[in-house]
Amino acid sequence: MGRHTAQAVQARREHDDTAREARGTARTTDVRNGVSRARAPREGEAVARAVDLVKTYGAKDTAVVALDHVNVEFMRGQMTAIMGPSGSGKSTLMHCMAGLDTPTSGKVFVEGLEVSAMGQRQLTKLRREQIGFIFQSFNLVPTLSAEENILLPLQIAGKPIDRAWFDHVVHVVGLEQRLTHRPSQLSGGQQQRVACARALMARPSVIFADEPTGNLDSRSSREVLSFLKTSVHEYGQTIVMVTHDPRAASYADRVLVLADGRIVNDMDHPSYERILDVFAADDSDDVDASLADGADAEGGARA
Amino acid sequence: MIRIGLRDARAHFSRFVMSIIAIALGVSFVVGSFCFRAMMNDQVDQMMGSNTDHDVYVRGTDEKKDDDTAASSSSMKTYNDVDDTLVDDIKNVKGVKTAEIVYSVSGSLVLVKQDGNAVSTMGSPTMGIGLEKGTWRSAHLTEGRWAKKRNEVALHSYAAESSGLKVGDTTKLVYPTGPEDVTVVGIFDTDASQAGAIILGLAPDVAKELYQQQTGQIGQTQYIGVYGSGNKGQPLTDDQQRALADRINKALPAGSKATAITGDQMRDEYSQSIKDMLGFIQPLILIFAVIALFVGSFIIANTFSMIVRESMRGYALLRSVGASPMQVFSTVIIQALLLGLVGSAAGIGLGWGMVRLIVFGMTKLGTPLSGAASPSPTDMLVGLLVGVIVTFIGAALPARRAAMAPPIQAMNETVNPEKPVRPRAVTGTIMVVLGVAAWLFCWRIATIDGDPTPIGPLNALADRYGTGWPLGIGAGLIVIGVIVLAPALVQPAGVVLGFLPSLVFRVTGRLAMRNLSRQKRRTANTAAALFVGVAIVSCLSVVAASAKASVAGIVDTGLKSDFAVSSAANGQIPDAAVEAVKQVDGVKSVSTSRMLMNIKYDGKRISGTSFAEQPSLFTDVFAPVTMSGDANKALRDGELVVGETIAKDRGWQVGDTVTMTGERVSVDEEATAKAQADWQAQTQAKVTALQQEAQQLAASGDAAGAQAKAAEAQQTITDAQNVDPSTLIRTKSETTRTKVKVGAIISNSIYRTMVLMNDETAEKLADQQTMFTIQLFIAARKGTDTEALRKRLVKAVKPYYVLSVLDREDYKSTMSSMVDQILIILYALLALSIVIAIFGIVNTLALSVSERTKEIGLLRAIGTSRAQVRGMLAIEAAIISVFGTLLGLVTGVGAGVVIRAVYGDNGLEVLSIPWGQLGVFLMLSILVGLLASVQPAGRALKKPVLDAVASE
Repeated sequence: MGRHTAQAVQARREHDDTAREARGTARTTDVRNGVSRARAPREGEAVARAVDLVKTYGAKDTAVVALDHVNVEFMRGQMTAIMGPSGSGKSTLMHCMAGLDTPTSGKVFVEGLEVSAMGQRQLTKLRREQIGFIFQSFNLVPTLSAEENILLPLQIAGKPIDRAWFDHVVHVVGLEQRLTHRPSQLSGGQQQRVACARALMARPSVIFADEPTGNLDSRSSREVLSFLKTSVHEYGQTIVMVTHDPRAASYADRVLVLADGRIVNDMDHPSYERILDVFAADDSDDVDASLADGADAEGGARA
Repeated sequence: MIRIGLRDARAHFSRFVMSIIAIALGVSFVVGSFCFRAMMNDQVDQMMGSNTDHDVYVRGTDEKKDDDTAASSSSMKTYNDVDDTLVDDIKNVKGVKTAEIVYSVSGSLVLVKQDGNAVSTMGSPTMGIGLEKGTWRSAHLTEGRWAKKRNEVALHSYAAESSGLKVGDTTKLVYPTGPEDVTVVGIFDTDASQAGAIILGLAPDVAKELYQQQTGQIGQTQYIGVYGSGNKGQPLTDDQQRALADRINKALPAGSKATAITGDQMRDEYSQSIKDMLGFIQPLILIFAVIALFVGSFIIANTFSMIVRESMRGYALLRSVGASPMQVFSTVIIQALLLGLVGSAAGIGLGWGMVRLIVFGMTKLGTPLSGAASPSPTDMLVGLLVGVIVTFIGAALPARRAAMAPPIQAMNETVNPEKPVRPRAVTGTIMVVLGVAAWLFCWRIATIDGDPTPIGPLNALADRYGTGWPLGIGAGLIVIGVIVLAPALVQPAGVVLGFLPSLVFRVTGRLAMRNLSRQKRRTANTAAALFVGVAIVSCLSVVAASAKASVAGIVDTGLKSDFAVSSAANGQIPDAAVEAVKQVDGVKSVSTSRMLMNIKYDGKRISGTSFAEQPSLFTDVFAPVTMSGDANKALRDGELVVGETIAKDRGWQVGDTVTMTGERVSVDEEATAKAQADWQAQTQAKVTALQQEAQQLAASGDAAGAQAKAAEAQQTITDAQNVDPSTLIRTKSETTRTKVKVGAIISNSIYRTMVLMNDETAEKLADQQTMFTIQLFIAARKGTDTEALRKRLVKAVKPYYVLSVLDREDYKSTMSSMVDQILIILYALLALSIVIAIFGIVNTLALSVSERTKEIGLLRAIGTSRAQVRGMLAIEAAIISVFGTLLGLVTGVGAGVVIRAVYGDNGLEVLSIPWGQLGVFLMLSILVGLLASVQPAGRALKKPVLDAVASE
């Protein structure tokens, strides 16, 4: 199940450039065909990866290790869920991957670009071109209408707006009737769908979603998750999602489990029950017990 | 709870800095204004104590409605003059040491410095006072002696210092009749500093002569000063003064229309009138204090809103462990009170420093002030109270919010809709409309002949109160109305003002525009600080520009002559100088304007001045704007040419006959003969006595003694022969009378309050003593090189020191430079209100940024560059600042236009709106906004994106 090894990381590094080109072609095709055609997720392409990532907080004596030499790759065209108990480092991992946080040591690459070494200017460029975000608390700009919120990233970057794609995205998230509303006039689920549409609009290399269903009721959660899943399978969007909801994680193609700053489990297309099982083991407070399933993953992570 | 408050205060100290500065500024203006007034009052009292130091004054009994000084703002009452001869009656009263008339003249003398240039002062006058031993108790000779003759002078120590003259030096003193050589014979000092006045001690006779020339009053005086002998040479106590005044009153002959009052009463009256005149300064300073405190209060409200918002969890915790709302309230309010105390204390220090600085600056500029400049305990208490109260008001609302925090903190900060601004829109609009109506009313009163409105009662009101009231009420209504209305204007203004930025910066511009409308009240309050400051300054700049343009207009449209000569000492031009100018090569004609003193028309004075002119006036100097009659012909035919205002005032028409009365001073032959005879008899008696003594001594065999006495007698005779005969001339004034027809009525603005007649008519009424040349207008001969002529003219008047030659441009710029000086003060105030406004904007943005931490984090997360965030905040700040400035400009220009109309008859003929200057204000406001956004933007960007996004 766990396929990450240091060797694999090495091996895939060379593929990055070709992968980007391939993706670029795919996108052009998408546009020509009115966005309807799916881009099949191809194995073996890493959109983002972390190498020997360490993040500690606080001074020497009281240092807390949030990430403990993590090596991980996120595959193109996949939805990856990162799970783990509070304090396991799952959010830290995502923040470091997205360039929101600087690692103490180690490197982060997105589309072959070293995020961990970027300055503010490059980070801005990265956020404009490669990365999309979905937050737990929706984070829409309250002064802008739904439509303006969706188009905001493109406008900020000064990119042309692809109206066909916009209409399509809006149709998929079901917001056609709500475009002129302000966020305060939308329900939580609607707001989060606006946020999803916004992230998708620029078709970034990877969307990082931080507890996207954390503030939603179960029905809205389902809507948002199935929309995210659709975007992965239909349009080949890559999504990395942090969640502690096993139900949400079960929508993912792959589930990583973190504990104490290390990846302790890496599951491919796990069922809801399987995820629950892993967490049941976690709940027994014996983290190592869960390693039984992901021994190789841990080994990989530590290599 | 108090401990928590204090600890919080320490933790938040850095955030309080801006609030403390704002409060300190506000309080410093409050304290400074009180302190400044106290200092000026003290200075005035000191000067009064030392300059008006007689124990008893005798003055007229009837209050005089002085129509000469109708426009004067002085609250000083004037009384009828009393006869000089009363001095003799008073002298004989028991307890009177001396009684005399101290003659002083101000403004007509100029002292020439050691280096040959005239002594110049910063607005303070040069005064000549007739002084001899005992006439001025507070003046002490430090060197030399008092002046005894026309060519001697004693200098006040400050005059000596500024002129660099020492006892024994010879210099020139410019009398109204021309410069004369004088020798410095003494230097004296006074108890109080004289605020930069140059005081010259003249021989009493000389001073009297000058005084009579200047005022045209002969044999009469405003008051007689009396020193009492009751206190061993010391000033009398209040009781002694009263007793002496009573005795003098009994001795005053019936029908003398004179009364004795105590020196203290006189000093109080004088001080009060001067203080009243200076009274306008304090309210002016207080306006800016109010602006500063207004901004201060909402800076504090903003700061505390931020702090409270950030500490909400803490308050909720306190509540959940059992703290009462009152206790939570007190933790916040204690911080505010602390802040208020610190700010006020700093403000008191700052205010004191400011006054100190002003005193220092004035001293440097030549107006030394010795008044006490330290704030009184009351001033400090007022400052402290104001500061603390303002802080309390600012912090009360946020503190309440903290106190009301639900024990379990679950506040959702996104939902906090503002109260609707519609009620404010309605109230504000009504106020502004009423204010504009008041201004229109005022404008119509000022500009329309006849009834200003079709409504009767309003016209009655207009007649009764004039233009001042509607102007003031209108201004008040509009300023307050605009402040009330402003929140409702934020959105439309944002759309209009944001149009350009959002065209250029599509996203950031639009975001900025909408952000402003989120907190309309806050935005409007921030802009209000600029609004008030800019309104005041732009109003005054319109008035100033109009004043300049009006003068320039007169010169451009009316003035035909090439040069004018006037005296800097604002006095008369010596006849010799007039002759000298006439002799200059290239001069075609010289018109002299001679002012006549004490002219009455049908027994009444006019509220204006009378001038004697040559017929060439209207052909060579100013083209008349004739309302009726023929001005040129009238002047030639010896008829009166009357200014429009006066004609209207007196109801004169062309063809009316007016009886004019004037005064001429002539030598009273009889009195002079008597005086000479008396004096001769006196000398003769003295000589005879000495000769007798000599004979007695000779008889007793003391030949040497007899010889000495004889020599003494001989000396007395020689002295008598050498005595200045002018001191023995007695003058008398005779009333002259003539009937003159009104020949023309003209409306040139400079002639509006004048009556002009030709020299012949004038000379029937007045003579050299009561008529002075104050201006010369010179027309150049055709084909003369004007620049060369100018040089020749300057050379011709050089020996008179104080005369200046003005060409047409100079004539304009004399007015302009005066206006410019006033404007400098205004710009200082503008700069100040800008600084305060910057604080306000910075603070508002800081609060806004703090509220929008998450939003800005999000914007950053989705690819907004740092520059874009800065740009967004810069646009927000610039719009706030331009919004306030525009409101201020519109209101200020409106006020300026109305004021111009009201004072149209007083010289503000032409309306001129300094568009360029106002444009600069607007540009400046953009700059101010951009500047103000730097710090809050820095703070917004310092927060890592992650923290910003993750902050819940």
